[in-house]
Amino acid sequence: MSNTDQATLAATQSQRPPFYRDATVVKWLAQVFALVLVVFALFFLTTQALENLNRQGIEIRYDFLGIGLGSDLREGIDTDPDTAGRALWAGAVNTIRIAVGGIIAATILGVLVGVGRLSSNWIVNRMCSVFIETLRNIPLLVQIVFIWALVATFPDLELDQGPVNGLLHISNKGLSVPRVHIDDGFYQWMIFIALGSLAGWYVKRRQDRRHDATGRDTYPVGSFLGVVAVFGAVGWVAHPIFGWVGAIFDFIGGAYSSLTQVVVQVLLSLAALAAAAWWIRRFLARLRTPAGLMKLTDDDKFRIIFAGVGALAFIAFVLVVWPGLSSWIINSGTDLFEVIANKFGDGRTGRPIDIKRPDIQQLGNFPNPGPAGLSLTQGGTAVFFGVVLYTASFIAEIVRGGILAVPKGQTEAAQAVGLRRVTMLRRVILPQAFRVILPPLGNQYLNLTKNTSLAIAVGYSDFVQVGQIVYNQTGKTLEVISLWMLFYLACSLTISVIVNFFNVRMKIVER
Amino acid sequence: MAAPMTEGPDPAALEAWAGDEEQATKPEEPSLSAGEWLSRNLFSSAVNSLLTVVFSLLLVLVLRGLLNFMFSEERTWRAVKTNMRFLFTHAYPQSQYARIWVCIGVIAVLSGLSVGLLARTGGGISMKKLSMNLMAAGALIALGILLREPSAAVGADGRAIHRSGAEARGDSFVDWLDANALTVLGLLVLANVLLAAWFHHRGTYLQVATEPRVAHGVLVLASLGVLIGQQYATGEVVRESFAEAMADRAWWWLAAVVLVGAGAALWAGLGDARRRNTFVPAMYVFFAGAGLMVLSAWVYPWGHYAFLEGEFIAEPGSTVAMTTKLPWTVIWILLVATFELGRAIKGTRVGPRLRVPLNLLWVMTPFVLYWAVLRDPDLDWAHVMSTDIPMAVFFAVFGGLVVWYLAHPRIGETGRVVAVGLLLVAVLNWVAAFFGWYPMLQKARISFLLLAVVAMLAHNFAGDRSQRMKLVAAWVAAMAVFHWLVTLVNSPSTVDTPTDALIGGFGITLIVAVFTLLLSFPLGVLLALARTSKLPIFRVLSTAYIEVFRGVPLITLLFFFTLIFNLFLPQNMTLVDIAGATIGFSLFSAAYLAENVRGGLQAVRRGQYEASDAVGFTTVQRTLFIVLPQALRVSIPPLVGQVIATFKETSLLAVVGIFDFLRIADKVISAQSEFLGVKREGLLFVSFVYWIFAYNMSKYSQRLEKRLGVGER
Repeated sequence: MSNTDQATLAATQSQRPPFYRDATVVKWLAQVFALVLVVFALFFLTTQALENLNRQGIEIRYDFLGIGLGSDLREGIDTDPDTAGRALWAGAVNTIRIAVGGIIAATILGVLVGVGRLSSNWIVNRMCSVFIETLRNIPLLVQIVFIWALVATFPDLELDQGPVNGLLHISNKGLSVPRVHIDDGFYQWMIFIALGSLAGWYVKRRQDRRHDATGRDTYPVGSFLGVVAVFGAVGWVAHPIFGWVGAIFDFIGGAYSSLTQVVVQVLLSLAALAAAAWWIRRFLARLRTPAGLMKLTDDDKFRIIFAGVGALAFIAFVLVVWPGLSSWIINSGTDLFEVIANKFGDGRTGRPIDIKRPDIQQLGNFPNPGPAGLSLTQGGTAVFFGVVLYTASFIAEIVRGGILAVPKGQTEAAQAVGLRRVTMLRRVILPQAFRVILPPLGNQYLNLTKNTSLAIAVGYSDFVQVGQIVYNQTGKTLEVISLWMLFYLACSLTISVIVNFFNVRMKIVER
Repeated sequence: MAAPMTEGPDPAALEAWAGDEEQATKPEEPSLSAGEWLSRNLFSSAVNSLLTVVFSLLLVLVLRGLLNFMFSEERTWRAVKTNMRFLFTHAYPQSQYARIWVCIGVIAVLSGLSVGLLARTGGGISMKKLSMNLMAAGALIALGILLREPSAAVGADGRAIHRSGAEARGDSFVDWLDANALTVLGLLVLANVLLAAWFHHRGTYLQVATEPRVAHGVLVLASLGVLIGQQYATGEVVRESFAEAMADRAWWWLAAVVLVGAGAALWAGLGDARRRNTFVPAMYVFFAGAGLMVLSAWVYPWGHYAFLEGEFIAEPGSTVAMTTKLPWTVIWILLVATFELGRAIKGTRVGPRLRVPLNLLWVMTPFVLYWAVLRDPDLDWAHVMSTDIPMAVFFAVFGGLVVWYLAHPRIGETGRVVAVGLLLVAVLNWVAAFFGWYPMLQKARISFLLLAVVAMLAHNFAGDRSQRMKLVAAWVAAMAVFHWLVTLVNSPSTVDTPTDALIGGFGITLIVAVFTLLLSFPLGVLLALARTSKLPIFRVLSTAYIEVFRGVPLITLLFFFTLIFNLFLPQNMTLVDIAGATIGFSLFSAAYLAENVRGGLQAVRRGQYEASDAVGFTTVQRTLFIVLPQALRVSIPPLVGQVIATFKETSLLAVVGIFDFLRIADKVISAQSEFLGVKREGLLFVSFVYWIFAYNMSKYSQRLEKRLGVGER
């Protein structure tokens, strides 16, 4: 090989390709191009919208939330709200109420049907499959509308027949059962319960240790519940002594409200910078080899730059684009502390909880199950049973799959050790099945929560339906739709955080 | 995660997917006598017996409730019969109805061919299963006849005759039973509990076998008797007697006897177990069923009910209208004939070659049927001749030349320069559109963009002469179809309907579902690729999209796209509701599809990537030829699940004010003067139709899952 050849070889090896053939540059160019395209598309749509709105003389503002609303809601914590904001809040509570109740009911029903699907009894097995195959193959909306039409044919309720007091009330106005009611001293009583849980946890740990040491049955869960029950019983009478707790929150709220806008802005900016710095530090730490050497590729440099730019963009947002954010944070925080302080008010001496029976009365424009029992109107009944039955059919399949996913050897091993059937299910099968079940179950909970929005078809006053009332009256469609999306995103995020928390816990248990 | 396709494209699995391989039959289960079967499946232990008793009572109650609901005198099923056209097509004009039949016919021909070509040679429904199903159906009908409430005596006004409360309380045994039915049933269940405890105590379950079974069985039959007898109590409504009721249901008895007889004959005629396991193709059973339905339309007096041009037609005695039974007969013949044709050419050399064109036809069909057939476009021929055709020809020729040139195997750097140049021109076209610099038909801009994209990708498909010829042909065909469709879309429709949706009812449900799938599938795959990509910005954008769209309810998206999306468009552009809704559905569905495809992408093994890199594939080639085929195959079952979900979600169209299937049953029928407030019948019918489709798709997906072996990781 000649010298010149070697020289060329060396030259080609050392030399970087021209920038338009450099993989890193092209890669990042393509990505930035895509980003620009997306940003431009959003920009284009937004400018069009602003222009069109201007032409119609409409502004995007959220002050309609403070304006009075001329109509009543069918049910909820406030059926005659003063403002649109208050109405939306009542709608949100209705959504959460039906979602939480629905999740609990659907889980119970779903697990029962799913286990029944695995039963060796032919008729139980078949009936459970028919339940699943029927309900999950009919659109939820059709089911909801059908239940609504069905409830409409239930016995007619005479509104002038006075309060109905019974355990269960069903009519074409809806459904009502007795409920546990949070009364005056509830929050102070909860302090007792919290203290009791702490003490109970301590006792449980001690009993666990004794069980590990001696092998005797020490009933850790039972003793935990016992301690909590004792604290609860004492608190039932003694809760007024915690009346002073409210003052603490009053003080915190006062201190919080004295913050100025600049302080919050500076704190937010610092937090953004700190987050970026923390991310970069962690990123670099991950690249550090045991020898302490660090090799940064171009990609890594780009990433670090992006983190910095992101933090700066956030700071610009806080300081320039929306300076009002800080005062909003201050105001809402102050309000929150006020509400909490009020819950612990000194004058609260009544019973913590109470049980109330169904009672129907006329409220506002609509025949409305009264505040006494746990009531659902016609629409509420339709949505509740619709989402519960529909989701239960999916949960049943998930539970069945989860139980089937536990290897047969586990059952056989448990039997070989001589575990009883119940112990085997509780200690061997279910924990392993639960690990498989949990992620899809979380998805079903998410779906259920989102599906409650179909309430709009039957006039149950959930967040979406109230939103529709609001934009029909104020014309603020865009704003209401943005609130809808934010609300449901927040709900989804909450559920996935909770599910992920358990998911991680289950994984640790596994190892 | 364990990869199911560990060996890459496994030829055996591929064959199974293509449907040629006969499935290995399951080892036959030992056949049990009826007594053995009962004691094993229903009365194996005390708890099991009690479950059997309680659940069979529950089953009977549910069945009775359902039957009494369906056959009650108060049901107005006439509302459904009369509004069939409304339910399926809403206000599509009567005079143009032939177009609907043409569409169904085209779909029947395509399905017949596809199913015939893909049909497995063996397999299907075994004779044993068929005969058992026939007998079970007969037995179920017989049970239903017994359980059903007797008809009420009807007065002159067509309503049931009621009696006063005092008169209603008779003193016969049946009346006593009616009043105390719940008590008697409770006592019977209690007796069962005691029996179970007693036999359990004696330890006679499974060992002695017969005693507990007989005892429980007698009590279950007694409960059944109580429930049936109770219905004949006259109560407040005057009802017919048992003999009259049974005589009234003679046709049903006949059906039950015929079904049981046919099943039994099949069972007996196929004597030994081996012959019982011979298979009938499932399609033949379906054809036979459909054929019977079609035949009955000619023979049986179903009655002729319709709502035409504001008039209600009700002719109870006659057979179905000629405009209904003739098209269905033709469609049935087409279906059977094309199925047979498909089977016949499957074995020949043509068969396998037909698959790709057939699939392409399936993709094209929705567009052609909707815009060319249903919409009947009013083409402006002068414009077509002067502008559309020349433009299409120009792009076909120019693009063909570019593709021919760029697909040269040794084009190298020059190709990229040309491609980037084209891309710049295309981008400039759109920038010009934004600023309104020079006028140009939107179609041309889109064509330019398509050409630029193809040019950028062309070097990945470079090959020899025949390969390049194929590419050019594909481009020319794509341009022809694209320009033809755009011309059709831009022409006004001659079909005159009251709503801006051309068709309503189940038609719009199907159309929206199909277009949603066609739009969301490519978007979903792209999102999945971006989400698994190593490039952070793509990943972040795609993740943000997926999480946001999965986090909000579909209904809010639909409201956004039908109510205010027009605000976001330039002034001279508007989107009709139905198009907006389809976009909303597609964007939502794409986020879910992307997650399904991502699962498939993660199942592709690393070695596949490394191998394709080693061969020197470009990223595009690797993705298109190696990764996606494997990933999509793995994700077929969840994708079918997503198809079902999309199909069910189309019912949300009713909420945004489009006259879809559900809305017609819920709002339109119940507002007709003839059927004021009649809702439940229509809704039940809608549920049933949705159920038929969704159930069969989900069964198909389960079979597919088994065939692909995805479930057995």
